[in-house]
Amino acid sequence: MIGAKVRLRAAPKPGVALAVPLLAGAVPAPWAALAAGFGAEAGEERDCATPEGRVLLLGAGQPRHATDWEALGAAAVRAAGPAKRLALLARSLPAEAAVALATGAALAAWHPERQTMRRLDLVVDQPLALAPAWARAEAAVQGALFTRELTALPGNVLHPGAFAARLEALAEHGIRVDVLGEKRLRRLGAGALLAVGAGAAHAPRLAVLRWRGQFAVPPVAFIGKGITFDTGGISIKPAEGMERMTSDMAGAAACAGALLAMALRNSPAPAVAVLAIAENTTGATSYRPGDVLHTMAGRTVEVVDTDAEGRLVLADALHYAVSQHQPQAMLDLATLTGAIVTALGSHRAGIFTNNPALQAQAAAAGDQVGEALWPMPIGARHRADLDSDIADLKQCCAGPLLPDAAHAAAFLREFAGETPWAHLDIAGVRLDEKGLPTGFGARLLDRLVELYFEHPDRH
Amino acid sequence: MPEIAFVKPAMPKHGALVLPIAEDGEPAGLHAALDKASGGALSRALEAASFKGRKGQSATLWAPVEGISRVVAIGLGKSAELTAEGAEAAGGACYGLVAKEREAMVAAEGLAAPVAAGFALGLLLKSYRFDRYRTTEKEDDKPKLEKVAVATDAATACKNAWAPLRAIADGVFIARDLVSEPPNVLHPVEMAERCKPLEKLGLTIEILGPKEMRKLGFGALLGVSQGSAVEPRMVVMQWLGASGGTAATKKKPAQKPVAFIGKGVTFDTGGISIKPAGGMEDMKWDMAGAGTVIGLMAALAGRKAKVDAVGLVGLVENMPSGTAQRPGDVVKTASGQTVEVINTDAEGRLVLCDVMHYAQQRFDPRFMVDLATLTGAIIIALGHEHAGMFSNDDTLAQQLSAAGKPVGEAVWRMPLGEAYDKQLKSEIADMKNVGGRPGGSITAAQFIQRFVDKGRPWAHLDIAGVAWSSKDLPTAPKGATAFGVRLLDRLVADHYEG
Repeated sequence: MIGAKVRLRAAPKPGVALAVPLLAGAVPAPWAALAAGFGAEAGEERDCATPEGRVLLLGAGQPRHATDWEALGAAAVRAAGPAKRLALLARSLPAEAAVALATGAALAAWHPERQTMRRLDLVVDQPLALAPAWARAEAAVQGALFTRELTALPGNVLHPGAFAARLEALAEHGIRVDVLGEKRLRRLGAGALLAVGAGAAHAPRLAVLRWRGQFAVPPVAFIGKGITFDTGGISIKPAEGMERMTSDMAGAAACAGALLAMALRNSPAPAVAVLAIAENTTGATSYRPGDVLHTMAGRTVEVVDTDAEGRLVLADALHYAVSQHQPQAMLDLATLTGAIVTALGSHRAGIFTNNPALQAQAAAAGDQVGEALWPMPIGARHRADLDSDIADLKQCCAGPLLPDAAHAAAFLREFAGETPWAHLDIAGVRLDEKGLPTGFGARLLDRLVELYFEHPDRH
Repeated sequence: MPEIAFVKPAMPKHGALVLPIAEDGEPAGLHAALDKASGGALSRALEAASFKGRKGQSATLWAPVEGISRVVAIGLGKSAELTAEGAEAAGGACYGLVAKEREAMVAAEGLAAPVAAGFALGLLLKSYRFDRYRTTEKEDDKPKLEKVAVATDAATACKNAWAPLRAIADGVFIARDLVSEPPNVLHPVEMAERCKPLEKLGLTIEILGPKEMRKLGFGALLGVSQGSAVEPRMVVMQWLGASGGTAATKKKPAQKPVAFIGKGVTFDTGGISIKPAGGMEDMKWDMAGAGTVIGLMAALAGRKAKVDAVGLVGLVENMPSGTAQRPGDVVKTASGQTVEVINTDAEGRLVLCDVMHYAQQRFDPRFMVDLATLTGAIIIALGHEHAGMFSNDDTLAQQLSAAGKPVGEAVWRMPLGEAYDKQLKSEIADMKNVGGRPGGSITAAQFIQRFVDKGRPWAHLDIAGVAWSSKDLPTAPKGATAFGVRLLDRLVADHYEG
C-alpha cells in the first residue's frame, strides 16, 4: 500500500480534523453557524477550531464532474496542512462523488519524501455499500502512486536493473513478469533498444508484464518508454535542467501502474505491458549520430540525434508487442519530445493515432480522470521528412523549428503495423508545477480498459 | 499569367496538347484522333513510358505530328475518385511540362465541368512567378505560356464554373505578390497604397494613419511601430455584396458583416528583442496574414460574392532603434486593457488586438477570423501541412475545417483553456504579451481572445508554418502560398452567402 490509508467510516472519529465540503447556496443546518458568511464558492476555505475539534469548511461551488470532487478532495488535504489524519465528510453525497473526493485526497496526500498524511477517513452513511466502488477506485489510485514512486526515483537508484527488479515485485499481485536481458534481446534482434543502452554501465532490458484477466481475447497492450536517465548521449543535452531527466521513464512507469491497477481490481480484460528500459548516456560504447541500426522489425534506421532515443527503444517494444502478443489495441506512453511541450504546454498530453476510434476512447477516458489529451496530426509530409539516403528511415530531422513530436509519431506508426495504435506524448504533463511526478497515464489507461475493454461481448 | 479559354474540341495547329488521362479511361476525342493521326505513335509512347494514368504520373511525347510540338499526358488516377482538388493537382503538375510553349490545349472532353475548371485553376495557380527583380534572366529561361485553351463539349458549364475561380486566382496572386515583395519596397505606407486599386472591384477602402490611431487609442499597435522610420497604417476594406452598393451609397445593411483581420508586419526584426541573423530574411513575409486578407477581399469582390464582408489589416514595421519599444514597457490597448511587453518580438498580437477591437466596435461582425504568422511554436507543433486553428465557437471551427480540405488549405484545431490563459499573468499590467515556451501558440491565442467580445464567434489562424513554402506545392511554386485566401473564400461560399 502506497500513500495514505483510506478507511470508510460511518461517523467521524472525535478529535480528528474534519473536512466538510459545502455546495454553493445549500449549507446544511449543522454547519450554519460555522458557515455564516461563507459563500461555498469553489476555492473558498475556512479553517475553524470548535470544541469537537478542527473543522475545515470547503467551498464546492456547483460540482459537475467527478474531477471537480477530486479537486475538492485535494483541496481538503492541502488545507489540512501537516495533519497526520483527516476525515472527509461525504454523507448524503452520491457514491461517485464520495469516491472521487477520497480519490482526490489520496492522490494529493502523496509526497515522495515528506508525506505527513497517514490516514484518510471517508465518512459516509453506509460504508459497506460503498466499499466495492471504493476498492475499484483505490486500485487506480495505487496504480498512479506506484507510477509516481518510480518516476520520483533518481537515476542512480533507479537504473535499468533496479527498475526491472521493482517490476518483478509486481508478481505478488498476480502479474506475470518476464524481463528480457541483453542476450535474449540480441537473439530477438532488438538493435535499436540495445544501441540506446549501449553506452551505460547497466544493460538495457525489455520488461514484459502480463495480466491474464478472464476473457479469451487478444490483450490490450501498453508500451512504455523507460529511459531511467537521459543525458542525450553523444548528442548531449545542455546541463541546465538535465536533472529532470530522471523522469524520462514516466511512460513505462505509467504502463506498469495501469497494469497494477487492473490487477488490484481484478479486471476481466487481458492486458500486456511491454516496457523498453535503458539508460541513455555518453561513453566509449555509446551509439553515434550517423549509425544505422537494425530494429527488431527488420527495418533499418539512420540515427540523426542520439537524444531522440525514445522512439528507437519504442520501435523495438512496439514490434515485440505486435509480433508476440497480437494485441487488439496498443497504446504507447512516452516522455518523448520537447516539441509537444512547445505545442501543448503542461496542461494536455498529445495523442497521435492510426485509429480515430481508439483516439476518441482514450480522450474520453482521460477526461474522466482529469488527464486531458489533445489530438495531433501525422501528415504525409511528416513521414516524408523521415526518408533516409542510407537506411529505410531516419529517426528524426535536424534543424530549428521542426515538428519533432509529429515526426516521432510518424516514425512510431511505421512499427505499429495494422494494429490499432495510439501514441501519447506525455513530456509536458509528467511533472506538476512543483516538479513532482503526476503519474499521468496510469489512471487513464486503467479507465480506458474499464470503459471499453470489459464489455461482456468481448468474452 | 496565362490566359485561360474554354473552346470546342479541334486539333491544335501548334503548341502543346495536354491529355489528362484516367487510369480506367479509354482514348476518345482528341486523344484518339491524335493517336490515329500519328499512326499509333502516341499509344506506343505511353506504353514505352509505362504511363498508366496514375496520380502523379506524366509522360511527354515530342512532335508526334506536324504542328504539335509536344504532347503531355497527365495521370488523373481512378475516374470515380477524381475530385476538383485532384484535378487541381494534375493541372499544377502539368504547368511545368508546358511552360516553355506559348500555347497549350487541354483535351478535357471527358471531364465534368468542375473537374475541367479545377484542372485549369491548378495550372494557373502553379504558373505564379515573382520575377520583377530579375533583370538578367535569359529569354530562353523564362516561361512562355500565354494561352491555355481547354477543349470541352460543355463550354458554357465550364465558363460558369471558371468565372469565380478566375477571381479567386486573382486574389491569390495579389496576396502572393504582396508576400513576395521585399521589405524595403513593401513597407506599411506602400502596402496600404497597394490596396487602393482594389476600389475598382467595388471595394470601399479607407486608410488610417498614426493620427487617427492615436485618437482611437491604438497604444499597442503604435508601440510596435514606434521604432520604425515608416508610419503605420490600418486599412479598412468593405465589400457589400449582400446589401448592395458601396459603403457610401448603401442604405441599410441586410445583415451583420463577416470580418477578417490580418497581421501585417512588413518586416519583423524582433525589435529590441532582436532575432538571430540566420533566417531573418524570411521575416519579410510576416505580413502574410494581412496579404491574405487583402487577396481574400479582392477575391470576394471579384466574384461578386453575396456577402457583406469587412477586411482590416494592421500594417507596421518592427525595428530596433532609439525610439523603439522596450521589454518592460506597459502599453494601453484600444480596449483599455494594459499589456506588459516582455518580448518585443511577440508583436503580432499587439497589432491584432487593437485592430480586432476596432473591427468589433465599428462593425459588430457575425464572426471574426484573424490570420497571422504569429508563432514559431505552431511550426514545432504542426509543421507545414496545417495551419493552427483556435476558436471559441465549435460551429465556426467545424466550418473552417471542412472548408480547408477541398482547397488544399487544411487547418488543425488547437486547444484553448483557462490554465493556458493564466500563463499571461503580469505583476504590473492586465497581462504580459508572452506566456513562456510551453504552449507558446496557445498562449498567443489566449492573448488575442482577451480582445474578443464575449459571445462573438471567433477563430484565429496561426499561419506561420504555411504562409511560405520552401518546397513546390501541388498548386504553388515555392515561396508565398497565399494560404487562407481560398479557405476563407470557401468558408463564405459554403455558409455565408445568400
